[in-house]
Amino acid sequence: MNKTKERKRLLIGYALVMPAFLVVMLTVAYPILSSVIMSFQDPVTGAFTLENYKYFFVTPSQLKNIGFTLYVVVATVVLAIVIAYLLALYLRFVKSPISKAIGTLYLLPRFVPGLVAVYAMITIIRDSGVLNRIALLFGYDFKPAMMYHASGLIIMNLWFNIPFAALMITAGLGAIPDSVIESARDVGASKMRVFRSMILPLSIKDVVIAATFVFMSNVGSFTTPYLIGGNSPKMLGIALFDQFNKYLDYNRSAALSVIMFLICSVSAGVYIYTNLKEKEWE
Amino acid sequence: MFKYLNPKRFYFAVGKRKFWEFIVLAVFVLFFYGPLLNMFMMAFANVYEPPHLLASEWGLKWWNFIFEQESLRSSIIQSFVVAVITTICSMIICIPAAYSLARFKYPGRRIFMLSFLLTNAFPKIGIFISIGVLFYKYNLMGTLAGVVIIHMINSMMFMVWLPSSSFRTVHPQQEEAARDVGAGPVRTFFKVTLPMAMPGIAVATLYTFLGSMEEAQGTLLVGLGQLKTMPVEMYGIILDYPGQAGAVFAILLIIPSLVLIFLMRKYIGPDAIAGGFKMK
Repeated sequence: MNKTKERKRLLIGYALVMPAFLVVMLTVAYPILSSVIMSFQDPVTGAFTLENYKYFFVTPSQLKNIGFTLYVVVATVVLAIVIAYLLALYLRFVKSPISKAIGTLYLLPRFVPGLVAVYAMITIIRDSGVLNRIALLFGYDFKPAMMYHASGLIIMNLWFNIPFAALMITAGLGAIPDSVIESARDVGASKMRVFRSMILPLSIKDVVIAATFVFMSNVGSFTTPYLIGGNSPKMLGIALFDQFNKYLDYNRSAALSVIMFLICSVSAGVYIYTNLKEKEWE
Repeated sequence: MFKYLNPKRFYFAVGKRKFWEFIVLAVFVLFFYGPLLNMFMMAFANVYEPPHLLASEWGLKWWNFIFEQESLRSSIIQSFVVAVITTICSMIICIPAAYSLARFKYPGRRIFMLSFLLTNAFPKIGIFISIGVLFYKYNLMGTLAGVVIIHMINSMMFMVWLPSSSFRTVHPQQEEAARDVGAGPVRTFFKVTLPMAMPGIAVATLYTFLGSMEEAQGTLLVGLGQLKTMPVEMYGIILDYPGQAGAVFAILLIIPSLVLIFLMRKYIGPDAIAGGFKMK
């Protein structure tokens, strides 16, 4: 009796999760698999080849794109996480009207359409934009030269990712009870000590999760480099779009997708590892 | 207490800190809201030429211009239709899955959970391109259904993980209590579990809707230019028209977000959003 009930429960569980899982399998896993297969095929004969990959690791301009993307993404991750961590610490431990205001204001950028945010930032950083006009008020003709340059991309990425990372870390810090910190302070631990041996270890997991998602979302970013990025070197998202749209080379686009996926999977691996580690603690 | 009696020390204890807080606030607002405010100003500028910081001539010229374009008006409706359908389909498919992952223990649960991470780990364009090949086979290119599928997979991870983490915060005892007084499983779900998990579901739904409203590259690729949503039009506007036209259209694009955030403000918080990025 109990066993049939148990089995029924199991079936209901599977039945509820299946539709979503099938959608992911059909529309995400299957296309990924076919990309992987295509990336090893010759465009004409369909025979096995490594030429599609070789192209990206031999052609200097393509190699530059990979390096450029890694540079922009790593710079974004490091800057966004450091600034976001400071912001999150401030939001968590300083209780004032100002921190409360920032605590509300930093939620909004997450919901601003990407295209709108990029467009708004362009009006500031382009050479005839607000920065230039403010400088003109003081008599300089200052050209920010951020458009079509890595700095513009990084600034825009920070706009998107600082609020997100701060939000993730704030949620983690929020789970640390005040009483724990107070008791440590009571027994004489310095602020630095409390930070190093309590706050940092307790929040590091959220920092890793935030960094992972910042990394993954920026490797494949499209809108920002499409509107702000230059022609050479390009972000990989644009290079991929070109392979597909301009050169109509589907096998090379597949190979580049897989390369990007492998770059992402490094951080996905870190993410999964952090999650599994937590399981061990339990 | 004694230190506040000394005016100089009082300044140092309160003033200096306030001072730095104001600096933080100023930098924060300038960086995150300056661009948006500037764009807002531009939308009401008939003439906006360098070196002027503000409009040289104010007016609604570009609003009229945008609303005169038939294709832009129809794109607004198109966007809403797509976003509503996407959100509804996504809820029907994802929320049961979220509930199942939160409540049932079965072999392979982690694999299911992880499979949703795939949508975020593989480059979107890579996925879209391979889907395109599949869609050609099944005549889904340039159709509403095709675009809805693209929009759905965009926010799928969020739509499963976030409600799942909020379902987990509902204690099974609370459900059992409802069952004990005679409520059936369906009624228990709708009267007890669902309302308690609402904050997470609300944020996930909001996210799916807004994600669909702003999705551009996939729509462009799979819609074949036949399904013109607002962001698709926006790409064209940015490239073809003067800055102010883009600003007006950008404001139109941001209005749904503002309205929805205002309506759902009590649900939106760091904890609710962070739940969508954790695999528990």
